[in-house]
Amino acid sequence: MLATASLNGIVGHAALIIGLAASVFGALGLVIANVTGDGRLLRTISNYAWMALGGAVVAVAVMERALITRDFSLAYIQQVGSRDTPALFNVTALWSALEGSILLWLLILAIYTAVIMKRNRQRLDDPLVAWALVVMFTVTAFFFFLSFGPIDAFKNGPVPDFTRCCLGPNPLLQNHILVLFHPPILYLGYVGFTVPFAFAIAALITGRVGEGWLVATRRWALYAWGFLTVGILLGGWWSYEVLGWGGVWGWDPVENASFLPWLTGTAYLHSVLVQERRGMLRVWNISLLVATFSLTILGTFITRSGVLASVHAFSNGTIGPYLLGFFGVIVAVSLGLIAWRGDRLRSPGAIDSPISREGAFLANNVIFTVFAFIVLLGTVFPLIVEALQNRQIAVGPPFFDRLSMPIGITLLFLMAIAPVLPWRKASTELLRDRLFWPAWCGAGALAISVFVGADGLAPLLAFMLGGFAGGAATRQLLLALRRQGWRGLVGRANGGMVVHLGVIIVAVALAASNSYTRVAEFTLQQGKPVSYQGHTFELVKLQQFADARSTGVKALIRVDGGKSYAPAITTFTNFGTKIPTPSVRNGLLNDLYLTLEPSVRFDGTEAPVKIYVKPLIVWLWIGGMLMAAGTVLAGFPGRRRRVPTDPVSAPIELESAGV
Amino acid sequence: MKRAVKSWPSWVLLVMVVAGLLAVGAARDAAPRSPKERVEDISKRLACPICEGESVFESRNADSDAIRVEIARQVDLGTVSDDQIINFIAQRFGSKVLLVPRATGIDALVWALPAAALVCAVVGLGVAFHRWKLAADTIPDDADRALVADALAADASPDADEP
Amino acid sequence: MSEPVVAARRGRRVAPFISLGVAAVLAALFIVLANSKSEKPDTTSSFLLGRPAPAVVSTTLDGKPFDLSRRKGSWVVLNFFQSTCLPCKAEHPELVAFAAQQASIADGAELYTVVKDDTDAAVSKWFAEQGGSWPIIKDDNGSISTAFGVAQVPETWIIDPSGIVVSRYPGTITADSLATDLQLLRQAYG
Repeated sequence: MLATASLNGIVGHAALIIGLAASVFGALGLVIANVTGDGRLLRTISNYAWMALGGAVVAVAVMERALITRDFSLAYIQQVGSRDTPALFNVTALWSALEGSILLWLLILAIYTAVIMKRNRQRLDDPLVAWALVVMFTVTAFFFFLSFGPIDAFKNGPVPDFTRCCLGPNPLLQNHILVLFHPPILYLGYVGFTVPFAFAIAALITGRVGEGWLVATRRWALYAWGFLTVGILLGGWWSYEVLGWGGVWGWDPVENASFLPWLTGTAYLHSVLVQERRGMLRVWNISLLVATFSLTILGTFITRSGVLASVHAFSNGTIGPYLLGFFGVIVAVSLGLIAWRGDRLRSPGAIDSPISREGAFLANNVIFTVFAFIVLLGTVFPLIVEALQNRQIAVGPPFFDRLSMPIGITLLFLMAIAPVLPWRKASTELLRDRLFWPAWCGAGALAISVFVGADGLAPLLAFMLGGFAGGAATRQLLLALRRQGWRGLVGRANGGMVVHLGVIIVAVALAASNSYTRVAEFTLQQGKPVSYQGHTFELVKLQQFADARSTGVKALIRVDGGKSYAPAITTFTNFGTKIPTPSVRNGLLNDLYLTLEPSVRFDGTEAPVKIYVKPLIVWLWIGGMLMAAGTVLAGFPGRRRRVPTDPVSAPIELESAGV
Repeated sequence: MKRAVKSWPSWVLLVMVVAGLLAVGAARDAAPRSPKERVEDISKRLACPICEGESVFESRNADSDAIRVEIARQVDLGTVSDDQIINFIAQRFGSKVLLVPRATGIDALVWALPAAALVCAVVGLGVAFHRWKLAADTIPDDADRALVADALAADASPDADEP
Repeated sequence: MSEPVVAARRGRRVAPFISLGVAAVLAALFIVLANSKSEKPDTTSSFLLGRPAPAVVSTTLDGKPFDLSRRKGSWVVLNFFQSTCLPCKAEHPELVAFAAQQASIADGAELYTVVKDDTDAAVSKWFAEQGGSWPIIKDDNGSISTAFGVAQVPETWIIDPSGIVVSRYPGTITADSLATDLQLLRQAYG
């Protein structure tokens, strides 16, 4: 036991220090080789990326090995491991607390760095590529340093005292398969924005803010965005299936931390099209990428330093100052570079009319930026008040809901108008012509909603504009399919329309489920069915269960005389807290969401339950899948445009095109 | 034929249909709230004092139960407004249970700053379009040319592209 | 290699000023974040301080009626307690000492424990084992805790002889500090 124990710790530490050294040497070597023009040094640089990747892989593998072999000599295993965690949740326990989640971050970052290195190893003498890799190496080095030094992921623990240590991961993180997918996918998105950020900084340093760097990174930004989107939606799904409060999104600081880069990233994906087409908004696009990356670091600080209380937070006082310092450095360097280069890099040319494609993209950017500002403000506002007046306040979901509702409606409206707008300038006649059928789609959606009994101005507006925007996106797709055959589904514009359809479905589902959820509490007794909202619920029996790590009770409830559903209350013996687990009957129109109340008596005959009838929830996940599919379609090359030949765009090195 | 269908009269018809439907749908919403709905609305605006990120409405613990009982009691009195009930709870448990921040004192900033940001952004966009329009419309005169020449002379650097 | 820069020269330099503005805002945010503490102190303030105590009408664990308004004329100390709460249990010996100390002086305060969301059996067992013979008030629907705004137990309150709330102590207290504070309050009440 002791031999393996020290082995895991030693190998883990060694892997981290090798990774740290490799990242530092990689960054320094690239700078030196580029300054001195030393070709031999340059050719060795790619080895450092592989070494860093190797360090990260070994670190994660050793930690997993320690988890699987229950090596309780490591402090981290004492924190998240236990003897009776099931295998699946034992593996996912890696990212169930701070140290391991930073290791996961590190692994993904090292993979991105290595892939960028592999794709560009012939072009390291190009300053743009070199500086981008310097940035990647620096960020990687920071995370190696973090997990080696301040966090010390492989710290040896005290002699384990099994009466109080080694309880396993948080009970909420050991009862759903989504724990396996949500964090890695979210991190793929979160960390993925490092790549476009690195190229943006390189563009600023080299002064080459033409379109070359854009071509090199647009697909990275797109995929990072896609992963972030899927990760966020999976988080909502997990919350819905596990937490038992019936909702998917609570505007919690951790959720906001993932939403902030999504907002600025979405803004970037739109405004970058203006740059590609018209050569404009260069500095703005770089600023958006800088904002996106800094917000991921700021979000990590907010959620990992314990300054804001959150259900998801892993607080650890030691890491906060480092992350905040890193955030400060990123912002200072980026702003300094923008201040230095910004004016020279601004593009000539003008946007002719607000009623044009680029005008719509600008409006989109304004709204997304304001949205991000509001979410950030609401998230940190309690800290501001605390700093100024030493008083505790809260900014909760009703605040965010109230402000995001008009924003969402405006965005839906823009999604309806923008796709049909031509570049440069649109006439009213053209709009009247192109928007005619989409507008009637909106009217049709409104009519259907009113017909099925929907009420309230805000949700009705959302349904109407959803129909309108859906009509516009479908129109574009149909036209593209007619013109280009199957290629009408791929490429950025067409894939983007598929993403739009997904967004619209998600928006409609959110509007419906937020506005029309019905909920009631009942005490069910055997043989006495109750009916609610057109469904009947009958308690079949209360059933106690127990396994190595928990005891609990579930209520078998027959719904509509058919299948039984079993909401449960589980007491994890190691933790003592009662964890309610909902049971959900999914349906295309309504989900029936049953939770058992903690007041249930385990040996009783009555089941106090809460029944939610939630409309259209399934469409959140369907819309999410459509968004993911659209992202993949948008990543395929569309109509070949070999060289971006817009007259106002900067000259481009041909070899840099096509990544 | 196609032109005619998409002409102004049909758009007017569309607007009328939409306005009518919205009016019908919005009017349905106007029924007075039942006491249960009032308790729901109020408890959604209050945070559970001992949990993180849950409202009194969602939370299942004893404290939230007690607060819900108190809200229901005051709602049944029928003489106090939602805001008064919320204030009553916030006075006792502190303003950290207010999920909707107050609009007084420094707390009002959380409402004012988003509005200010929106106004700034819209004005900024308007200014940008105005300048682009000027740039597109004006033909440079001698004063402009002199200005450009001055700027270039003052800021000449090796990598500048000269016109 | 030649720098393929397209430099747009519009005469006016705006980037440094915009960057400076953004930097100023972010610096303020940075300072706020750098100074925020991860431990949030419990507040000792309350709207109720200096005001008449809320009505407390209930029964004690041994079935006697209790009405706070009838305790006017003596100092009252209310301690909110749950037998499932570890800090409360840790605090208990201090309360035992405090009760004994107050019983030994003239005009000693009356100590009451308020129990919510607990079973009578568990509470009785705890008091039987650990000592403490002062009355235990049942707060079955949580209305007393809500009226005082008590969320996290243990918490201790002092009410003066005219029924005005004078002190709030969130978290655990010690017998000495409570007795000292009470003595100061008595003198001020004079």
